[in-house]
Amino acid sequence: MSESVLRIDDLSIVYRTARGLVRATSHVSFSLAKGETIALIGESGSGKTTLSLALIRMLPAAAQITSGAIHYTRNGQTRNVLSLSPGDMRAFRWKECAMVFQGAQNAFNPVLRIRQQFADTAAAHGIKDPEVVKARTLELLRLVRLDPQRVYDAYPHEMSGGMKQRALLALGVLLDPQVVILDEPTTALDILTQRAIIDVLNEMQKRLNFSIIFISHDLALAAEMADRVATMYAGEIVELAPVAEMFYRPHHPYTLGLLRSVPKLDQRRDDLVSIPGDPPNLIDPPSGCKFHPRCQFATDHCHQEAPPLVEYTPGHFAACWHTDKVAAARSGFIDLKEVKKDDRS
Amino acid sequence: MATLNPPIRSASSRPPSLTASARLRRLARSYTLRVFAQAVVTVWAVITFTFFLIRLMPGNPVDVYIDFLMNQQNITYEEARARAASQFKFDPDANIFVQYGEYMGRLIQLDLGESITSTGTRVIEQIARFLPWTVFSVGLGLFISFILGVTIGTIMAYLRNSWLDNLFSLLASILGAVPNYIWGLLILIVFGVQLQWFQVGALRGTYNSSLTPGFNLTFLLSVLTHAALPVLVYVLGSIGRWMLNMRNSTIGTLGEDYVSVARARGLPPSRILLAYVGRNAALPMFTLLAIDIGFIIGGSVIIEELFVYKGIGSFLFWSISQRDYTSMQGVFLVITISVVFSNVLADLLYSQLDPRVRVGGGEK
Repeated sequence: MSESVLRIDDLSIVYRTARGLVRATSHVSFSLAKGETIALIGESGSGKTTLSLALIRMLPAAAQITSGAIHYTRNGQTRNVLSLSPGDMRAFRWKECAMVFQGAQNAFNPVLRIRQQFADTAAAHGIKDPEVVKARTLELLRLVRLDPQRVYDAYPHEMSGGMKQRALLALGVLLDPQVVILDEPTTALDILTQRAIIDVLNEMQKRLNFSIIFISHDLALAAEMADRVATMYAGEIVELAPVAEMFYRPHHPYTLGLLRSVPKLDQRRDDLVSIPGDPPNLIDPPSGCKFHPRCQFATDHCHQEAPPLVEYTPGHFAACWHTDKVAAARSGFIDLKEVKKDDRS
Repeated sequence: MATLNPPIRSASSRPPSLTASARLRRLARSYTLRVFAQAVVTVWAVITFTFFLIRLMPGNPVDVYIDFLMNQQNITYEEARARAASQFKFDPDANIFVQYGEYMGRLIQLDLGESITSTGTRVIEQIARFLPWTVFSVGLGLFISFILGVTIGTIMAYLRNSWLDNLFSLLASILGAVPNYIWGLLILIVFGVQLQWFQVGALRGTYNSSLTPGFNLTFLLSVLTHAALPVLVYVLGSIGRWMLNMRNSTIGTLGEDYVSVARARGLPPSRILLAYVGRNAALPMFTLLAIDIGFIIGGSVIIEELFVYKGIGSFLFWSISQRDYTSMQGVFLVITISVVFSNVLADLLYSQLDPRVRVGGGEK
């Protein structure tokens, strides 16, 4: 887990809109180790999807990367994804970094059979031997616990939502990528299917040892999947920590707010706290710490100066002037028995 | 949930033996049979309707001929009437239901009857003589228009909101808004009469009448030059619709998840264009195309008359002016059948192109 496959340095992305520049992500830096899973959590519009689209350079035309670099390493060779030629970029996509989008329901071309879509992907990256492709496809379909023979010849409309999602995961690892981005992979699926998908993912990751960037609103899922968690707010990473640290000892008031807003079975309704206010306007963001208008701990300092991302304990970074106050507040809230962590960490 | 894999296609397990009534019931439920029966009923209803409708038009073949004789030869009404009566087998005073009965009786034996005004000529021969020219010219126009329109529409969608797209959209709206006979008139008057780029008179007919039909270059060239202007007009009249339809359909398809995913999979742009965008965006176009095929004949009447192109449209125009009921009925029958069956064709074609609507194509 030491070798880094992806290192994002100071990445900033803006969207040019009629009303002005939208700062979708600002100065984001983190690295991803081989086989590691990092979860990005945060509200809608916090820049999670923008960040992940930038990794495969599929941002919409209105987006512009204003600073930063994305370093990708394979076999000791490091390249900056942002300076790849269009041809190299096409080769990079899926082969090195696959992205499983939100809403896999329409991820497959409705007029082609599943086997054709696997073969297309392989052929686009130079693997043309039909026997090799077929063997690999069937193996992966089996790995995601589908009936390989049946799905292989099926059209997308002949499959259920959960089947399509699993077929898409199989397609995602067809070319043995080092990084798989999963953007809300289980939304719109029922709870049992979600469970099955997560199990399949864990098993595949164990077998194929790829790294995952996991984007989710679902904190429980993030807690279960991730090795490390990054909280994003208004386009910035405001806290980054190993998963247990993040959920047991959040340092940033926004992370604490997210944890508090998750309903629990044994909780009275009054204890459920939502974060007051609305996500900030990214065209004209608040001065200083962008969270201060919604923060119960905010002081004049927060209003004037943005806090840097500081490492408080090894591997635990947070950008807040008042982590001590957050620590005091969370002790009254965090109940150790509620946050479960599976045996992987 | 006992299993996470619902059956994709339930294997049809038919019971080994069927009673006769069960067979009949299955037959009644059969999709193809239902479609076919529906088509036959539609054709019957339309020909019945037209049979009575054309007889409600003022005048009848005999009256038209009497008028013609009186004007041409300066004879009295009585004389003209007697001449007409000897010329025509058709009796305008016969009971209309008796006429209908006779007509339907012959039609069932696939007999379209004899032309009323050109005694001795069978309607089926007339149709066989004129129909191929219309199928050729309108079909060629439709083909060119479809290929060009779909191609340009795709380009417009890829370059949406560029100046090129805006220009073509404007052009397509103008082309689509103006009926094709207006283009025909404009071409004849501006390029034929005013600028004299071509000899209007020389382009009459379907080929140069001094040539004998045959498979040689001169004859084929003659056929093409005579068809050129009608074909151009058909293209102008319909290409705007193809461009705009294909543009909108392609823009919709470009926004589909599977196109983004295809790009993320690193597929070459050409493969995405053809198999992912084009294939899906063109699906509704094929339905429109099949329906258009049905209107080949009906849509040619004014244009053929305008360019004196001797196809089925100009034949229909002539039959109407002569009140030649049997010829009109023959052409209307051909029109009806082609409209009805091209709709059936559209259904069948669509189910071939789109696996989702394939009949019996898996569970919901």
